[in-house]
Amino acid sequence: MWVRLGAMLRKEFNQLLHDYWILFILIYAFTGAIYVAGHAISMEIKNYPIAVLDFSQSSESRDLVARLQPPFFKLVTYARSDAALVKLLDSGKASLGLVIPPDFARQVQENRGKCQVISDGTLSMSATIAMAHVAQIAADYGIQMLEQQGQLTRTMLAQIPQVDARIRVAYNPNITSSWFTSLLELMNIITMISMLLSASAMVREKVYGTIEQLQVSPLHPAELFAAKIIPATVVILMLSVLSLFGVVKGIFNTPLHGSLFLFFTVTAIYILSIASLGIAIAVIAKNIAQVAMMMLLIMYPMLFLSGAFTPPESMAPWMHWASLLSPMRYYMDFGFQVLYKGNGIADVWYDVVGIVVIGSLLFTFSVWRFRQSIR
Amino acid sequence: MTARVIAIAHKEAREFLRDPIYLGLAFIAPVVLMLLFGYGLTMDVKHLPIVFLDHDRTAYSRDYMDSFLHSEYFTPLGVAPNRKAANKLMRSGQARLVIDIPPDFTRLLSKQKPVQIGVTIDGSFPSRAQVMVGYVNGINRLYNSRLLSNYLSGLAHSGPVQAMPVNVNFSVWYNPSLESKNFIVPGMQVIVLMLFPAILGALLIVREREAGTIFNLIASPARRWEILAGKAVPYIFVAFLNYLITFAMSIFLFKVRFIGSFLFLSSAALLYSTCTIGIGLVFSVISRSQLVAMLVTFLATITPAFNYSGFIAPVASQDRVGQFVAHLIPATYFMDMVRGSYLKGLGFAFYWQDLVALAVYAIVIYALALIFFRKRID
Repeated sequence: MWVRLGAMLRKEFNQLLHDYWILFILIYAFTGAIYVAGHAISMEIKNYPIAVLDFSQSSESRDLVARLQPPFFKLVTYARSDAALVKLLDSGKASLGLVIPPDFARQVQENRGKCQVISDGTLSMSATIAMAHVAQIAADYGIQMLEQQGQLTRTMLAQIPQVDARIRVAYNPNITSSWFTSLLELMNIITMISMLLSASAMVREKVYGTIEQLQVSPLHPAELFAAKIIPATVVILMLSVLSLFGVVKGIFNTPLHGSLFLFFTVTAIYILSIASLGIAIAVIAKNIAQVAMMMLLIMYPMLFLSGAFTPPESMAPWMHWASLLSPMRYYMDFGFQVLYKGNGIADVWYDVVGIVVIGSLLFTFSVWRFRQSIR
Repeated sequence: MTARVIAIAHKEAREFLRDPIYLGLAFIAPVVLMLLFGYGLTMDVKHLPIVFLDHDRTAYSRDYMDSFLHSEYFTPLGVAPNRKAANKLMRSGQARLVIDIPPDFTRLLSKQKPVQIGVTIDGSFPSRAQVMVGYVNGINRLYNSRLLSNYLSGLAHSGPVQAMPVNVNFSVWYNPSLESKNFIVPGMQVIVLMLFPAILGALLIVREREAGTIFNLIASPARRWEILAGKAVPYIFVAFLNYLITFAMSIFLFKVRFIGSFLFLSSAALLYSTCTIGIGLVFSVISRSQLVAMLVTFLATITPAFNYSGFIAPVASQDRVGQFVAHLIPATYFMDMVRGSYLKGLGFAFYWQDLVALAVYAIVIYALALIFFRKRID
């Protein structure tokens, strides 16, 4: 068995490593693509574009506007008229419009200052957060005004019973999104490449007709599949090491807390598991075009159910159950727990079990289905 | 010359129709994706599991804790017996938030003194962590303003301070109910029409090259542009059908508000489909194997489409790298037009420049394909 597997492995390694284009693209996938993705922000508010229509032109109105600052807000422009503001909002150049009425200064002195915020609700989540920020800024400004007017003295302010919430964000103190997005992209890339490499290595034999030679050879289907899976696993694992140290940690300075040995061991198991999924696809598909479409049909739901888009606690029950079928869900949970939180195997053993069980089922299915096709 | 384009298109369409699995998947996969995201994607950060550590155990501390539970933002996991238990819940991901109330909470407040409470937030999902920080600050501020007004009403000269100097009146346009489906479903159309057509296009030329049938085309009198056009046209039609299906889903199934012009949106979608098929086509022409073409297409479409097209966060919020990528992909331009059509009711008059931009994009992308496509045996 080892001789047969060895011979087949040598052929597969040769095929993979002699395609310089593929190697080049794989290296890009594990470095450049992750670098690009690390720059993405998801929905936190940064440089939220605002436009101001200031009829008051007073020091009070300028004070308020000056508080709408980066990193949250970016003042795009002052609008000159209602119509101009509407145009800015329509075009999406501004997502939030602040209208300050002519008698704002006097109103503020009389504690009844009113201004109008028009929010573009298209991106509802960002809009909600942005409005909350504006409300907070207006309130802070108000308190400062009271203080200036002497209605609240410093001693009074010091005496106000107040709850001071000292917020500490665990695992990511400054909420650096690249720590998350770069690691997430690495996991996405591992998933995509493992599936694609193994599926294409397998279906290629079908397209060229060489599958029949393999079928009549003494190779057991399990040996054949192992020979298809192992080279991809080795290459992807090496590239993951490069990527984790070179980009995720090297460029984005993501702190890696847990046991790296544990992380890479389970990553190897995960790649084997996803590669088995690729083999299962290839056993069913007749050509590469079908593989492509089946991959899309399986991969996108997997990415979606991984918990990165919608965390487990926010999933509807049907999504929760569906996500249990996706090996990626376990891997994602495992990866973030180990690397972010420094958790050990005692905390993540069920993730490992999930990955192993699903991978084994897929592998067994492929062997069974492949044998059926011979008969 | 058009006869040759039609002949090649005819052959291509036949091949497509004769692979029922490929044909079926090309229509089913986008629908599945629309269903999943349309029903499943919730951007609303709600029902966050919260744990309290109450060292004070008085009516005051319970009142403070209650202020977190009046909203649907948090779901209580209960009061943890000690710090260690709370940390464990946080580490395993069962709790996203721990609120630690010190033993002298009531004593300090009744002495009119500020009191510090500890809040620990799970930073695993940065965007959600930021929202959580906002929630905690907001709830805390509400609680403080209650304390403040109680305090002020206890003072003699409290009269004029009752009102705040600056009051903001908010109004929300375009999506007044702030429903996330109104931006997710149309946004998904943009994504779906990027991912699938690009892959369809990516296999067009390289598939024939790998099978060796490219020689038939090379030997034929058809010119290079005729071959590319003939191959692309049937798939542009498929992508456009996908647009019609997803549009119908958004209106009849997801009941998204649509106040724009169907004619405008459809012409934009046709141009956009031409671009996305073209992107795949370029990769198909330059790739040596179908595997390479697929790899490159996946890498070039998935992340940019989801992260940089303005699907979830405004393009303006991205940093320089993000803005650069955003302007490289047609999805960004189409995203504006789709959202403008659905929610703002804008049409040709407003977006003619973006339409021109897409048209220029299409011309450039097909020119690239033409430049790299050699009628030569190498």
